[in-house]
Amino acid sequence: MKQTTAFEDDRLKLALNRALTGDAQAFADLVREHQGMVFSIAYHFLQDRSLAEDLAQEVFLELFQSIDRIQSAAHLTYWLRRVTANRCIDQGRKKHRRREMALEEAPEPTTVSTHADPMLLERLQQSLATLPERQRLVLIMRFQEGLGPAEIAELLEMPVNTVKSTLHRSLADLRKGLTRKIREVRYAFF
Amino acid sequence: MHFSEDDLREALKRKDPCEGFTQRTLMRINQARVNQAQSEGKPALAKPEKKSNRSFITWWMHRPAWAMAVVAVLLLAFGIGGYQYSEYRHAEEMRVARAKQQQFQQEAERARDQAIMALEIARAKMNHVLRHAQLQAEPNDKTRRERL
Repeated sequence: MKQTTAFEDDRLKLALNRALTGDAQAFADLVREHQGMVFSIAYHFLQDRSLAEDLAQEVFLELFQSIDRIQSAAHLTYWLRRVTANRCIDQGRKKHRRREMALEEAPEPTTVSTHADPMLLERLQQSLATLPERQRLVLIMRFQEGLGPAEIAELLEMPVNTVKSTLHRSLADLRKGLTRKIREVRYAFF
Repeated sequence: MHFSEDDLREALKRKDPCEGFTQRTLMRINQARVNQAQSEGKPALAKPEKKSNRSFITWWMHRPAWAMAVVAVLLLAFGIGGYQYSEYRHAEEMRVARAKQQQFQQEAERARDQAIMALEIARAKMNHVLRHAQLQAEPNDKTRRERL
């Protein structure tokens, strides 16, 4: 596993060095490598596939323009996460999206996993869309990217304690939202 | 409904964009480069921005000079204002002093007139008394009557 990671790092470093010299193929490799991460952050935040794809393209365009400032593969990942997070917040403001969306207005998830409760995952994705922007972003960084509170704090320029409390509050809000939804469903049936 | 952190991880697991995302991104980058090159080739559009930037930079570079000029103008304004105020105060004091002096002079003249009048009255009384006294001293009634 470690050997694979080291190999990946070397490969990315090489691609980055080649992209710095203006190699379009190397830049395409970098895009291919990170498109899942950038697109997923945007998609989970915006809950809109076309908006997320557009935003991801803008992030890579910005990367192309600032590639000479990237120092390493780790720095590239950090830079992409940070720019994507900032652009997500900007996009939210630009589109005058409401800070909190009604649960009923949340879009239906496009993919549902096979080895977890599909209904639960669907409700989770819907509830996630109702959270305020900062909370949503913190949850995405924690559970999609697997970052620790300190890393999230650095990325989103927030105090570590604020990140911890935001995580705690977000999970509580998610649970509350799910419980409310289930009660509504039960009431409708019985 | 309870959920675990694994459920949340599952709900938030990475998703891939639609097929051909890399190609579309590279095309967009190329298009942006072309647009940028075209916009840089237009001097009519580039010039005003450059000019405004330069004027701003010039202003920014000369900030200390501007600050000194503002301070100098303020000092000059305060200096002139202060001088004019002191002149006004001096003229006012002189006017008050003159008025006081005039009033004092008038009072002195009035006092002198009163003193002269008092002396006149005293002189007239003294003459009257003196004449009566002289008549008392006269032995002859006839002479006294004549005198009176």
